[in-house]
Amino acid sequence: MADSVIELYTEADVEKLRKKIRIWAAALGIAAAAALIACIAMAASATTLTAEKMEAAAILTSILSGWVIIYCAIFVIGAARRELGHATTLRTSERERVEGRVSLNGERLRIRKSISARGVEVETPEGIKRFWVSQTRAGRLQESDAAALYISHGYVAAYEVSK
Amino acid sequence: MRFIRNVFSQLHTFVLWALLSAIFWSWIFTFVTDTSPEKKVSVYCYVPEISDAELAAKLEEDKPEGIKMIKVHSFEYVMFNVDYIENGDIFVLPESLISEYDELLLDPEGGIKIYDSESGSGSADSYIGYAGEDYYLFLGMNSVHLDDGAAEEVAENLIGLE
Repeated sequence: MADSVIELYTEADVEKLRKKIRIWAAALGIAAAAALIACIAMAASATTLTAEKMEAAAILTSILSGWVIIYCAIFVIGAARRELGHATTLRTSERERVEGRVSLNGERLRIRKSISARGVEVETPEGIKRFWVSQTRAGRLQESDAAALYISHGYVAAYEVSK
Repeated sequence: MRFIRNVFSQLHTFVLWALLSAIFWSWIFTFVTDTSPEKKVSVYCYVPEISDAELAAKLEEDKPEGIKMIKVHSFEYVMFNVDYIENGDIFVLPESLISEYDELLLDPEGGIKIYDSESGSGSADSYIGYAGEDYYLFLGMNSVHLDDGAAEEVAENLIGLE
């Protein structure tokens, strides 16, 4: 039986992440510019009679648009950037092959300003070895019949299935 | 659930943004909707109720030449900066407080009665809520609009309002 190595992050995945970051950054830039222009327009059109209402509207617009932009910048672009960094590291670093029965052990890792990961166990003749797999790729690994893992910096970079 | 957890993990950032936004746009609007004392006439009213923006807008319909804005404030506004009131151009005060603020008034003895408590009729009473006693209008001692007549002209317009 021939074995097949499946990368958790292919070049296409990396390019997809780069594209996602670019699109979101452009969208947030446009949203920020639109909010700023709206607030400037409110300030410019304020009269003695409307100044208080315009000021309240500008502050509200600024706060709400800022919250949305901050949220997306941190939790969408930030998460994609971290995942891109993780994927690039896994693709370019040296790997160790570990063969055995693979299973997810239910452990979850969430490091601040890093990716979320799930625990993986490999039953080898020498004993059980524990690693991590990116949360976004854990499902893919779980559904596979992986017979061996390629490990880089303690994380699963690829897996091997028997054809 | 994840959304709420994310928001709470960055709560300090969201609160900081809200504070900065409020401070920045308040400053911008103050900058845009205010001008130097030479280009505005400031009216300070010690009254229980006042529609300050509406009254200022009404007075601006017939503003003196060279005047860009007319600002109307209640005395509560003065609490934030006492310097403002010292340069006030026009004051509306209840009879009982004239002696307290007499150093700000050009002629404390020569105020013009703009509200009569007995009859209940007064100037600009669509904008100003008077209460209990007679009210008088004065020009400010330190007004920069005494020589150009702008303070007097605005005072006349205010007295003429219904």
